[in-house]
Amino acid sequence: MTTLVDVQGIEKNFPLSGGGNYLALKGIDLQIRKGEFVSLIGHSGCGKSTLLNMIAGLDQPTGGVVLLEGEEVKRPGPDKMVVFQHYSLLPWLTVSENIGLAVDEVMPQISTAERAAVVEDHIKMVGLDHAKDKLPLQLSGGMRQRVSIARALAIKPKLLLLDEPFGALDALTRGNLQEKLMQICNENELTAVMVTHDVDEAVLLSDRIVMLTNGPGSKIGGILEVDIPRPRQRLTVVHHPSYYSLRSEMIYFLNRQKRVKQWQAKPHKVLARHGLEKVNLDLGFVPLAACAPLAIAEAKGFFQKHGLDEVQLVRETSWRGVVDGLLDRTLDAALMPSGMPVWMTAGGHGGDPVPVVSSLTLSRNGNEITLAKRLAEQGVSTVEDYRSWLRGHEREPHRIGIVHPASMHNLLLRYWLAANGIDPDQDVHLQTLPPAQMLADLKDGSIDGYCIGEPWNYRANREGHGVPIVGDLEIWAGHPGKVLGAREDWALAYPNTHIALTKALLEACRYCADPNHWPEMSALLSDRRYLGMKAELIHFSAQNNPGDGFAPHGEPHHLFFGAGLNRPSRTEHLWIMTQLARWAEIPFPRNYVELLERICQVAVFSTAARELGLEEVSWQRQSIELFDGRPFNSEDPIGYLNAVSLHRDFSVAEIAIGVPRAMAA
Amino acid sequence: MTTTHPATAAPPAAGGPPLLRFAGLGKTYPTPKGPYTVLENVHLDIAQGEFICLIGHSGCGKSTLLNMVSGFATPTAGAVLLNGKPIEKPGPDRMVVFQGYALLPWMTAYENVFLGIDSVKPNLPKSEKHDITMEHLELVGLTADADKKITQISGGMKQRVAIARALAIRPEVLILDEPFGALDAITKEELQEELLKIWNTQKCTVLMITHDIDEALFLADRLVMMTNGPAASIGEDLTIPFARPRSREDIMEDPLYYEVRNQALDFLYNRFAHDEDEA
Repeated sequence: MTTLVDVQGIEKNFPLSGGGNYLALKGIDLQIRKGEFVSLIGHSGCGKSTLLNMIAGLDQPTGGVVLLEGEEVKRPGPDKMVVFQHYSLLPWLTVSENIGLAVDEVMPQISTAERAAVVEDHIKMVGLDHAKDKLPLQLSGGMRQRVSIARALAIKPKLLLLDEPFGALDALTRGNLQEKLMQICNENELTAVMVTHDVDEAVLLSDRIVMLTNGPGSKIGGILEVDIPRPRQRLTVVHHPSYYSLRSEMIYFLNRQKRVKQWQAKPHKVLARHGLEKVNLDLGFVPLAACAPLAIAEAKGFFQKHGLDEVQLVRETSWRGVVDGLLDRTLDAALMPSGMPVWMTAGGHGGDPVPVVSSLTLSRNGNEITLAKRLAEQGVSTVEDYRSWLRGHEREPHRIGIVHPASMHNLLLRYWLAANGIDPDQDVHLQTLPPAQMLADLKDGSIDGYCIGEPWNYRANREGHGVPIVGDLEIWAGHPGKVLGAREDWALAYPNTHIALTKALLEACRYCADPNHWPEMSALLSDRRYLGMKAELIHFSAQNNPGDGFAPHGEPHHLFFGAGLNRPSRTEHLWIMTQLARWAEIPFPRNYVELLERICQVAVFSTAARELGLEEVSWQRQSIELFDGRPFNSEDPIGYLNAVSLHRDFSVAEIAIGVPRAMAA
Repeated sequence: MTTTHPATAAPPAAGGPPLLRFAGLGKTYPTPKGPYTVLENVHLDIAQGEFICLIGHSGCGKSTLLNMVSGFATPTAGAVLLNGKPIEKPGPDRMVVFQGYALLPWMTAYENVFLGIDSVKPNLPKSEKHDITMEHLELVGLTADADKKITQISGGMKQRVAIARALAIRPEVLILDEPFGALDAITKEELQEELLKIWNTQKCTVLMITHDIDEALFLADRLVMMTNGPAASIGEDLTIPFARPRSREDIMEDPLYYEVRNQALDFLYNRFAHDEDEA
């Protein structure tokens, strides 16, 4: 594929009337391939139209350059046509005259017959045969916009630029026009860049979606690849699991931009009291049964007891929110999947490595793999059945939902599949999806199954959409589930706070481990501040409901507290490191000993446990052995990696994490 | 320890008659080419306190329907009943908010709201009219902008004034005709959230026309979808099951969100797909 448009290091500074400058865009790099459809999305004022104008040559960057086929774009021209929200048709000319005028301007040399053919073809293309002699005023808004698209395309531009082309139309007309535009783009292999704030429009039409952050100094905050095959149809694309997950990603991105702005608008003072460096904490979590220790610590006053007067629990809808909250420091610490400290420390999130520490394992177990009911109906009840069923259905896509690449769900699912002769990348496709969507997709038949924590397996089973095929107890009983994680620079800046937080949550873990408290915890978590669903759907163990068919694969399920359960384990984090490297999520760190020493804050845990009089829980766990009986040799992780039957081409690399440094207050 | 579950949607009227009833409603216009039936056989019951969104392609007769509820038009078949009585003319028990605001541009926000109260309840003491005006401007967050002229305020603020004016008259039914269609996405979301808050505190019954499925999923108890005209009627009456108070994020965490949304998309783009050229 050849690059048609090359946006290199664009910066745009506007002089302000009262003196000074407004920096609209900064450091924008974007390559657009020939035939590609790219959308630009972001909040009002993020500079998306400014960027489009610079690609069109209607405006000049103050830094960087835009190249069209290698030539610098300096002025507008017929090779890059823009369609605006407001049609800009000449009201005294008919549809065919409006289009004809553009053709005359750009192609004066063509014959009358050729001209007539060009005009007619393009009127046909947008389906306005019957209206070609009408004036713009006699047309609906949607029809007018089709005329302006026809006019733009009639002069055969190399690049079609669209600035919120359907923004002025009602939602339903917009839908019809989007399909028309998509069809035209497909048939004519057009290259197009579109500014929009409509997330459905972006997913439906685009090959890639470029998300811009809020200004000043807007930059590209993320690029989404839309992996939905073409030709697309509005009603079939919504059944592709990527549709709603991409839509959720964009909504998440836009909401996050809004939240960060609100967060920045408020003062954030560090409140030091009771000998603690900071007592006002924002703690992130994701609504899952395993968030119980945080909810209990709040409800039972464990935070206050340990001097943390002003703790806010921040509900994130996805683990992505936790990652972003730590990256931009809007969160102090968070409940996170046990793989996340290693993953972030090794730069798995795609940026510079960010050392993240863990002083406490908050939960163990609690995960299951659920397969769709339709598979069960075809006799799939074991992994062997699933393997042979896959062989017989090779042509269909086989997607399995996971919540995050750094989660134990992903690692256990992959381990289990691989050990049973199913390649987790070749034979199936693992896709990160929001939990609620997983259940909807399971019902819809667009995924084969998922691996997730509670309450989503119980719900699928109870609502008749899925059947649990294997529990984590049969893969690795007692595996770490969720951990407390914080940035290393945060932990170094607030060491006593870190210990107090660990104490509060360790006490909460002890509370959560008592089966007598489970009904209370279910009721608490059912509140909309946490899970927002009926208490009867929230289970911590199968013991609650014997005989309802759930969790047939062993019990107890969640473990919150006990000897060796809560102490952060270097061996476990090392195992996680090998698995993340095995599936090429991160390189295997050559300096893994250093990383482990920094990640596992055993001293913080031990101090907390000792001060609570809970020394007995500080006991070191046994060695790791999963269901296939392959022992994990923590003395030789690379040897272990090379010996596993299935792995991607992993690399071994030094991860530069610098010297430990405290965050500036 | 006990926790309360979020309240569910407004219950349908138990036993008694609905607040608003469309009983076999129809509307036929005479044209030079013969009679043209816009609506036919529309049946719909709306309980006191319900929030109903009405959706359909252009030309499906939504506006005709609203006009008969507001009393600007009379049915040629059946009837619209409010509290069991047929609606025959406009009245302060049903207030309409239009997409184009319909405010008096030479007046201030305050004067627009005041005028509405004054025309419905001329005998009320002036101080009381003032209090009601200020109360409703506060409700829509415009206390500080009360004395701004309509021409000096943004589209979102104009729509707030129009909502305040309608509510100040304490209608039994608030009728909204694509009220947010002309606003940008962010203002639209803000106003939707405010509308829900107001609806919660005022307990009025809302009938709203929209083109936007996501707006309906966020706001409504029921999404009533209309078939295409001519002779349009109600094609599907979809219950929106999300607990209230709602947040956009919460409803997306409900697996039913995807189902209900796809069902509405299917109705509008498949079963009753519409080509605007025919309109």
